[in-house]
Amino acid sequence: MGNLYLINKEYGENGLSLAYYDKEAIVVLLHDGVYISPKLYPSKAKIYAIKQDVEKRGLSGKLSAEYMVAFSLPKHVEFIDYYRLVDLIVENKVINFA
Amino acid sequence: MAQRNVLIMINRPPYGSIYYTEGLRAAVGVTSGVDENKATVAYLGDGVYFALTGVDRKDTDRYLGTLKKQGARLVVQKESLKERGIKEADIGEGFEILPAKEIFLLLQGADFTMDF
Repeated sequence: MGNLYLINKEYGENGLSLAYYDKEAIVVLLHDGVYISPKLYPSKAKIYAIKQDVEKRGLSGKLSAEYMVAFSLPKHVEFIDYYRLVDLIVENKVINFA
Repeated sequence: MAQRNVLIMINRPPYGSIYYTEGLRAAVGVTSGVDENKATVAYLGDGVYFALTGVDRKDTDRYLGTLKKQGARLVVQKESLKERGIKEADIGEGFEILPAKEIFLLLQGADFTMDF
């Protein structure tokens, strides 16, 4: 069981500042949290984003693996649905910033 | 039920909403009862404005008094102060200033977290 950081835009950066020190952090970007700059993603964290929220905001391209590589951004983002988010919530300790 | 460590994180400033008050009310609730749970309140981001000297705390004084009696810690994120140009000398009595790394350790040791 790891720490699952739920990150929305408004206070998400506070959560990322703590997740930075977490070697096993799991971060889920949801709602407007998908707008947070990839430069702020904790380097050791596994990063997920809710696919539906990404697509609604037209960010599929800018959070794609190809874009991250092309612009030397630090992390790859894995897109998941809300069913997978529920699994993650059940499996981990939730740290909510959403 | 066994004793639990609970970290209450307050992200919102002490104006414009009741979250800063409700967070402290929740912290008092955590420390109530037979389990003698331990509460720590962490002020992050704009939440740190609550810790400034001279802030009107008439609406939270009783919560703060209860938490003090229960030995709860009130901690303020150092980086959040710096980002806002707040000097550490401007932080009120009873608040500890901790870097994010140490607040993370509190988070890691918590059985449960709440955010306000």
